[in-house]
Amino acid sequence: MSVLTRNIPRICVQASQTVAARSIHSSTNTNRAAALAERPDTRVTATLIPGDGVGPELVYSVQEVFKAAGVPVDWESYFFSEVNPTLSAPLDDVAHSISKNRVALKGILATPDYSHTGELQTLNMKLRNALDLYANVVHVKSLPGIKCRHSNIDCVIIREQTEGEYSALEHESVRGVVECLKIVTAKKSQRIAKFAFDYAIKNNRKKVTAVHKANIMKLGDGLFLRSCEEMAKLYPNIEFEKMIVDNCTMQMVSNPQQFDVMVTPNLYGNIVDNIASGLVGGAGVVSGSSYSAECVVFEPGARHTFSEAVGKNVANPTAMLLCSSKLLRHVNLNSYSEMIRNAVEKVLKDGKIKTKDIGGQNSTQEFTYAVISNLDLPKA
Amino acid sequence: MALRIVHRNSLKCVCNVARAQSTMSAFEIQHKTPLIKKQHPIPVAMYGGRNAVTMLPGGGIGPELMDYVREVFKYAGAPVDFEVIDIDPHSEESTAFDYAITSIKRNGVAIKGNIETKSESAGVLSRNVALRNELDLFVNILHCKSFPGIPARQKDIDILIIRQNTEGEYAMLEHESVNGVVESMKVVTESNSNRVARYAFEFAKRTGRKKITTIHKANIMKLSDGLFLETSRKIAKEYPEIEHNDMIIDNCCMQLVSKPHQFDVMIMTNLYGSIVSNVLCGLIGGAGILSGRNYGDHYALFEPGTRNTGTAIAGKNIANPLAMLNASVDMLNHLGHKQHASLIMNAMMKTIAEDRLLTPDLGGSASSTDVVQKVIDHILQADIRPW
Repeated sequence: MSVLTRNIPRICVQASQTVAARSIHSSTNTNRAAALAERPDTRVTATLIPGDGVGPELVYSVQEVFKAAGVPVDWESYFFSEVNPTLSAPLDDVAHSISKNRVALKGILATPDYSHTGELQTLNMKLRNALDLYANVVHVKSLPGIKCRHSNIDCVIIREQTEGEYSALEHESVRGVVECLKIVTAKKSQRIAKFAFDYAIKNNRKKVTAVHKANIMKLGDGLFLRSCEEMAKLYPNIEFEKMIVDNCTMQMVSNPQQFDVMVTPNLYGNIVDNIASGLVGGAGVVSGSSYSAECVVFEPGARHTFSEAVGKNVANPTAMLLCSSKLLRHVNLNSYSEMIRNAVEKVLKDGKIKTKDIGGQNSTQEFTYAVISNLDLPKA
Repeated sequence: MALRIVHRNSLKCVCNVARAQSTMSAFEIQHKTPLIKKQHPIPVAMYGGRNAVTMLPGGGIGPELMDYVREVFKYAGAPVDFEVIDIDPHSEESTAFDYAITSIKRNGVAIKGNIETKSESAGVLSRNVALRNELDLFVNILHCKSFPGIPARQKDIDILIIRQNTEGEYAMLEHESVNGVVESMKVVTESNSNRVARYAFEFAKRTGRKKITTIHKANIMKLSDGLFLETSRKIAKEYPEIEHNDMIIDNCCMQLVSKPHQFDVMIMTNLYGSIVSNVLCGLIGGAGILSGRNYGDHYALFEPGTRNTGTAIAGKNIANPLAMLNASVDMLNHLGHKQHASLIMNAMMKTIAEDRLLTPDLGGSASSTDVVQKVIDHILQADIRPW
């Protein structure tokens, strides 16, 4: 009984929010196009990969927000999963769809730490290699309203993600001796270094930090570091510094404000990504993207499927919503992109609706509706 | 294991097929199949379908025209990020200029206004010329095509001028050997003449042009222009499907103003190119409409067709934005963003031909911003949304 009485007001609030959101949606839909100076009759197609764990729930949240905002995006949805191979769409189809649409929104794919078939490459790695998604960009920024140990963090971690430790070349040469090959090539190192510097130029950043362990891996990481140094010469206006990965992780937790753009090989990037994400509120709030020359895949920055929360309606959709906002900016739908980002930031700043991971009690759905009711839809 | 290899290859095929569906853009051809292999290839600045491009506004009306380009690109959603570099024309030192060259080498593509060189000391070279030499942009292409709706002396002109861009009379080797006697050297090399001629014939073949005319003055300059002419004749033999003839520059100028329709593609040395392109620009509507393209083996530079700064009309809102917009359309075509290019081109055509919105240099009374606004309106009304 007590449970019921406690929940009734909540349900009412939810219902009223839903209704409010719907009515706003329908009343302004007709004239929005003119107000946004964007053409309503032409739509953008994007590939959608919900992923494993809470991915489908988060993607549903994004779709709800898009519907309410009237965003002219059509999804080409693919169920793609390594832990559920029978239902998964073939890699070829997914890769083809992404290379055709040139943008995708992707949840996280679970990667089992054993292999039945002897296959060493994960599905994630196969997709990256198929599309040559070589650069992973995670923009770690303190969000308003989320209490953390550090404030004012604003750094970008750029990670090479097609070679290095992830080359999936492992073998047992003698019984009990396993060799795992880390591949570093000059071509890919230069490419990622240039990506980092070009990113810095484009986004008015001042400094690029190369993260390495060349004191131990003198040849492998040495090549990476040399490539970065060479590339830095072409960018005299951008400060370049190098930092050993162990020191970097310490600095990251003690003084993260010193970092601007960081460029890292594969595994170090993965680790630094996760440290930095932890500093600003965890896997639920950090968005990321993977670039090839032709296409971009937007996905949460810290890769956790949160599979223990499946169906519990507690996951934080912030990361996925921010990803979708970035996707809209990429396809030149700036006003929609800003609308969604502002709404998410407003909900976080108000602090009334919080999911569990950032110290609240609200559900994914409640958060989504709060975002929808905060959408600043243009007046008719 | 074998299975895995097959699997990976088939994936690669899928991607290649998807990519090959759209034919290679000039940008890709330049970077994937260069005529001369780069010694230190710098990776291409293209990420997630967006290109980074260096923008050098230059002096005079350059900065305002560049603002228009950025405005139009914003509404057309062109996937291009500009790296703007301002060069102070009064400065004697060249740090900004050197940085601009580095930037073009990184990005591979640039769009520029006219960069003034105010310095009068003999030691300071023209920066426009220095830029072309430094980047080895050996060929300049000017596509002179009549715009419907622009009042001009000659109608339906469609001529391509291909000009050697780095040597000839622009070698900048002058000296006073005896008091009162100045020698200026014109340098013609076989390798550069070869490259230009080869480029012209390849270009003609690719774009389906029928005839190439070499413009020269080999009756007087028997060695230098003779070499240029000889080289183009030699190359012409390899392309039997394309007609080749030659014409002396003075006759050429006369023919141009009286019977311009006999020409298709023209190749010539540096100075003749400068003169002929200005003649043709005058014939079809002045300095404000055409755009020029400069290509090397690795880099491409786009600019208004006639290289005038327009300092006199700067800030008056009467400069013609068409030339720079045309250059930006060329750039989009080069990068392979054909949809965006045709979106902007069609908007421009409609503004000129249907709305008859012309700036004073074409006999109209519209201001620059009026024209740009109209172009943007047409872009917004178009029912395609490329991104």
